[in-house]
Amino acid sequence: MPPELIVLALVVVVALVFDFTNGFHDTGNAMATSIATGALRPKTAVALSAVLNLVGAFLSVEVALTVTNAVVNIQDKTGAPRPELIADGGLSLLLIILSGLVGAIVWNLLTWLFSLPSSSSHALFGGLVGATMAGLGVEGVKWVGDGTKLDGVIGKVVLPALMSPVIAVVIAAVGTSLIFRITRGVAEKYRESGFRWGQIGSASLVSLAHGTNDAQKTMGVITLALIATGSWTDLESVPFWVKVACAVAIALGTYLGGWRIIRTLGKGLVEIASPQGMAAESSSAAVILASSHLGFALSTTHVATGSILGTGLGKKDATVNWRIAGRMLLAWLITLPAAGTVGAIVWFVGHSVGGLAGALVVTAILVASAAWMYLRSLRTAVDHRNVNDDWVEQVTDRPVPHHGVREETKA
Amino acid sequence: MNNLWLALQGAWNVLWVGLLLGAGLPAIFALGIRALSYGVGGDADATLHEPHPAAKVVAFFCFGVVVLAIAAGIGVIVAHGLGAKLVFDGIVPAFVPK
Repeated sequence: MPPELIVLALVVVVALVFDFTNGFHDTGNAMATSIATGALRPKTAVALSAVLNLVGAFLSVEVALTVTNAVVNIQDKTGAPRPELIADGGLSLLLIILSGLVGAIVWNLLTWLFSLPSSSSHALFGGLVGATMAGLGVEGVKWVGDGTKLDGVIGKVVLPALMSPVIAVVIAAVGTSLIFRITRGVAEKYRESGFRWGQIGSASLVSLAHGTNDAQKTMGVITLALIATGSWTDLESVPFWVKVACAVAIALGTYLGGWRIIRTLGKGLVEIASPQGMAAESSSAAVILASSHLGFALSTTHVATGSILGTGLGKKDATVNWRIAGRMLLAWLITLPAAGTVGAIVWFVGHSVGGLAGALVVTAILVASAAWMYLRSLRTAVDHRNVNDDWVEQVTDRPVPHHGVREETKA
Repeated sequence: MNNLWLALQGAWNVLWVGLLLGAGLPAIFALGIRALSYGVGGDADATLHEPHPAAKVVAFFCFGVVVLAIAAGIGVIVAHGLGAKLVFDGIVPAFVPK
C-alpha cells in the first residue's frame, strides 16, 4: 500500500473525529436552554438534537468543496488542490490538512475540558491557518480576500465573530423584554407549558440548521483529501459514503452531548425560565437563518451564547454571571490563534519526521493529548444526571461541579 | 478596509431581519398565550380555567403565524442544502435554483 493512502486514511478518520467533537461541542447551542428549564429531559434533548443534525447533514446536497478557500490558499477556485502541493502524491497537502484538524480537535477538547463553548468552525479555520502558515508561509493564508466580498480570515472569521454576539444579545434582549411585558400577569398554567413548546420548536430549528451548516465543512475537507491523492476526481460532488460518515459522526457527537458546555450555557450564564429559553432560541434561529440567507457567515456558538446572555439582560432583575461570560469571550478571542499554534507545531513535528512516519507521529500526538484531557475531565465529570445542578461557583466560589455531586444528589 | 464596511452592512441586515423574526415572532406567540389566559389573573388558581372561545380564535391565529414562520424557516434550511433559494412570489413560497 502506498504511504499516501495510509495517510489519507488517517486524515479521513481524524476529520471524522473532528466532526464528532463539532457535534458534542455544539449540542448546547441548541439544547442548553431546553434542558435548563426542564422543557426536555436531558437525554431526550440530545437525542432530538442528534436526529435533527443527522437529517440536516443529509440535506446538504450541494456541498461546498471550497471550504478551505475562506482562509487559506491550498485549493483553486474550482476546488482543485494546488498542483505543487500534490506533486508528491498528495503527502504535503495531507500533512497540512491533518495538522490543521489536529489543532482544531485539541482546541475543541481543551475548551470542553474548561466547560467553555467555543466555535468549532473557528477552531477548524484556525488549525488550517496555522498548519498552512507553517507549511507554506504567511502568503499561504488569505487574510482579507480581494475586497469584492467578505472573505479571508478577517472577513469570514474575525469581523463576524466580533459582531454576531452583539446582534444576538440585542435581539434576544428585545425578545425577552417583549415576552415578559406581554405576558405580565398571565397564569403560570399557560405561561410555562406554552413557552415550553415554543422553546422546543425554536431549539429544533437551531439543531437542523447546525446539521446543514457544520457537517458539510468536514465533508468538504475529507473530499479535498481524497482529491489530493487522486482517489476522487469529481469537483462537483462529494462521495456518498463521505456524506453518510460525516452525518453519522456529527449526530453521534451531538448525542454524546457536551454536558460540560450544556451546563455552562444553561446554568452558568443566567438562570433561565421557559419564556427566556424561547426568546433565546428564537433569536439564535433567526440570526443563523438570516445570516446564512444573506451570505454573512456566523458561528452558531457565538450566536447562541449571545442570545442566552441577551435573554438575561432583557429580563428585569435577572443576574448575568459576568465572570463566566468574560472567560467565554477570552476563549473566543484566542480560538483562532490557539488552534493555529497547535496546528503549526504539529505540522513542524510531522514535517521534520517526514512522510508516513510524520503523519503517524501527528496522529499519536492527537491521541495522547485527547486521552490526557479525557482523563482530566473525569475528575469533575458532568453528564445528564448532574447537568442541571445548582451552579456551585456562585455559592461557594469553588469551581463547578465538585466531585461527588453525582452520588449525593442525583442517584 | 472594505471588509469592515461589508461586514457592518451584513450585520445591519441580519440585525433587522433577526429583530423582526427572532423577537417579533416570540412576541406574537406571547400574545397568543396572553389571549388563552384571558379572564384569570396571575395569582389565581387557573387549573380549572377554560379559555374564552373568542380568545381561542385569537390565540390560534397567533400560534398559526408562528408555525407558518417556522415552516418557512425549515424551507430556508432545506432550500439552502439543495442549492436553491426560498423566494416568496407574492405570498406563495417557491424554490428557485441559485
